[in-house]
Amino acid sequence: MRLLRLVSGRLVSMIATLLVISLITYAVFVLLPSDPAQLSCGRPCTPERLADARAFMGYDQPWVQQYLAFLGGIVTGRTFGSGAAAVHCAAPCFGYSFQLNESVTHLILERIPVTFSIAVGAAVLWLIIGVGTGVISAVRRGTAIDRAAMTFSTIGVSAPSYLVGLLGILLFGFTLNMVPVNGYVPLTEDPVGWLWHLVLPWCVLALISAAVYARLTRGQMLDVLGEDYIRTARAKGLRERRVVGRHALRNVLIPVVTVFGIDLGSLLGGAVIAERVFSMPGLGALLLDAVGNVDLPLIIGVTLFSAFLIILANFLVDLVYGVLDPRAAP
Amino acid sequence: MRQSSKGKALMKRRSALALAVVLALTGCNANPDVTPDAGGSTGGTEKGGTLTILNAASDINFDPAKSQNLAITTLGLVLRRLTTWEVQPGKPAQVVPDLATDTGKTTDGGKTWTFTLKDGLKYADGAAITAADVKYGIERSFAPELSGGLGYHKSLLVGGTEYKGPYSGADLASVETPDAKTIVFHLKTAYGDWPWIASMPAFAPVPKAKDDPKKYSQTPVASGPYQVESYQQGVSVKLSRNPNWDAATDQVRTAGPDNVVFQLGQDTTVQSQRLIADSGDDRSAFGAGFVAPAQLAQIEQNASAKQRLVTSDAGALSYLALNTQRGPLKDVKVRQAIQYAVDKRAYQVASGGAIGGDLASTLITPGVAGRVDYNLYPADPSGDVAKAKQLLGEAGQSGLKLTLLSENDQPNLAKSQAIQQGLQRVGIAVTIKPVDEEAWTAEVSGDKGDYDLTVASWQPDFPSANGNIQPLFASSEIGGGGYNSARYSQPEVDALIEQATAETDPAKAQALWAQADKRILQDAPVVPLTYTKNSFLHGSKVQNFFVPSFPAYPNYLKVSLKQG
Repeated sequence: MRLLRLVSGRLVSMIATLLVISLITYAVFVLLPSDPAQLSCGRPCTPERLADARAFMGYDQPWVQQYLAFLGGIVTGRTFGSGAAAVHCAAPCFGYSFQLNESVTHLILERIPVTFSIAVGAAVLWLIIGVGTGVISAVRRGTAIDRAAMTFSTIGVSAPSYLVGLLGILLFGFTLNMVPVNGYVPLTEDPVGWLWHLVLPWCVLALISAAVYARLTRGQMLDVLGEDYIRTARAKGLRERRVVGRHALRNVLIPVVTVFGIDLGSLLGGAVIAERVFSMPGLGALLLDAVGNVDLPLIIGVTLFSAFLIILANFLVDLVYGVLDPRAAP
Repeated sequence: MRQSSKGKALMKRRSALALAVVLALTGCNANPDVTPDAGGSTGGTEKGGTLTILNAASDINFDPAKSQNLAITTLGLVLRRLTTWEVQPGKPAQVVPDLATDTGKTTDGGKTWTFTLKDGLKYADGAAITAADVKYGIERSFAPELSGGLGYHKSLLVGGTEYKGPYSGADLASVETPDAKTIVFHLKTAYGDWPWIASMPAFAPVPKAKDDPKKYSQTPVASGPYQVESYQQGVSVKLSRNPNWDAATDQVRTAGPDNVVFQLGQDTTVQSQRLIADSGDDRSAFGAGFVAPAQLAQIEQNASAKQRLVTSDAGALSYLALNTQRGPLKDVKVRQAIQYAVDKRAYQVASGGAIGGDLASTLITPGVAGRVDYNLYPADPSGDVAKAKQLLGEAGQSGLKLTLLSENDQPNLAKSQAIQQGLQRVGIAVTIKPVDEEAWTAEVSGDKGDYDLTVASWQPDFPSANGNIQPLFASSEIGGGGYNSARYSQPEVDALIEQATAETDPAKAQALWAQADKRILQDAPVVPLTYTKNSFLHGSKVQNFFVPSFPAYPNYLKVSLKQG
């Protein structure tokens, strides 16, 4: 019952947060000097043609009315224009990209498998490498292993992902010819090809993020290893592996999970750089193109979706807290 | 059109920056002296193979009503129009018949134009192409639902301003089809360049029965040598041969490859790396985007890649617009002084050096028929400071302070700074006002015009001097979405533009445009800076790959692949 109350309460707050984000996003983009109708007007663009394009796209209305129509579209769908050329955007309609001739919802759904494939694989990899390295560094504090791991993580933290991606392509793709340099193969079509095309993006993302997690885990682990209850556990004669793995790591994971939730949520919203460098048609590439083309409906839709994923990830993190720390259980 | 799309510009900036870092790490020379294959080569067409075109954009819109494609690029492979362009290296572009038997006939001095379709024209599905289909294709371009394409015809056709497209149930009476092969256009005023207008995407035939406006952008009915076989948004578009295309009816398309694959969303830096590596299928590929100056450094180090780099002859005009409606810039003497004060050499260096463009002195660009080369303000490429000061003195101006509106990306800022430093030498203090590309466009084409100077570039939508002059200097193009960024208004020039526009004899029209070119520069509303050059890279199996002056893009219609 408590869990149900928590979930329903969080759902309400999630919806309220998304509404606020959508309002702010919509207001920001509408108040910008860019005119989506002008961009879709063609060349030359006469005032009459511009007015026609604006009316068709619904941008001839006051922005509050536009926003309410946008929210209404999520529930009931929307129709732009009339007659045989009218464009219907089925519910849930998060807007319509007039540049790509497609509903934003459809575009997002089409790109999700790519981004999720990149994000989940990379996240698993960086969590294992990052937390593992952090734990070993802390346990072997001051040794050569610790110093090497921290040097490695400093490089990882400071290296721009675009650069690492390009160097990875140059080395493993062009020079050693070990992996494909770009493109995406759907898992359902060719599981081996899917894996093969994702190895390099996963490694690049994992290399960068694992560094952060290694440093975070190491710092937390050092703190926890100095706690009284760890000394007690050791005094009771527990094996070191059990002390670290069962008693210390559990507490270390609480802040790690918090950061992981936010990172994974952000990455699921679009691995922008990785998708661009590796020419993968995910949400990040979609957002980058939308920004480049000033495709406002698409920018708003993808922004909202990304926000939703981050909020959802936070919610899941809260639930995981309960498992890791019974005091925080719902 | 303005050079480079927003998405490409954004990506070019990012890619160039990233590659600069990579090059720095690998010790490459950042300032190469590249001697590329000037213009490219042509030869016999071998048939077969799959041509891959690497594209940074994530989408190709095949709907002719919504497309701004040049006649010689993507859409030209799939969709024919009434006329098209014959483009060869080193020669001015020519308008030639495509679906029509000729480039149009007029009997009343350019107000009425008649075209007749060739015999035996068929779509990919075997159905005959009719004049009614061409009319329908033009009509649907008027629909607000399908706006976004090149629409020069919309304000020229009688009733075009009010017409809202066929979906409202009405037809456009000024386009007549007396029989299945004849189409007649009635224009509001005489327009000598109508044959060029008939080469635009909207003049491709669309069979009414197959028109689904929501899907036509991905499933067009092919009239050219290729048809769309598959379309994966953001991933790729595959074209295969149109079995009903008849080479005997088509004088410009060679249709060498069996298939053409557009790989979409390709990072420009990675594109270049793939083409430099030249392995596997990439040997049969070329990049649709410009090679950034930073990437030229790496190509210089690679003999194979250097051979496969093709740079256009000097093409689109890059210029400094002087807002003729603002303060001291209303005085022609001040504007003439700026002609001498600008350091064109510094601007050229900021644009990538000699490979980025040649110094300019005229408004009509190389590659456009009828261009006359002249220089009203002869000076050293670095300018003539003494002459500029003298003219400023005659105008009674000293300590001028001007605002230069600039796009805020690094390449554009560097060019603006070159202008700023040049003008500083004659005592003109320039403040650069950086804004993003959208804000720049809104300001320059809007009604307010709150700037003194701005740097812009322009490549016409069709290779006529009309396209060089009218959009930039007719007083009707000030504000309201027009590109007269100098806000130049001169009744004598407007009259000349009107006269040249109406002239149907190409030779006479060209002479009038050349006259307008000189007359405008006497008033010095802009400073011609460079004729820009674009560089492209292709794989080792790609043949007949060339980039003319106009348009400074590869001619997709001629590219073929070496077999065996």
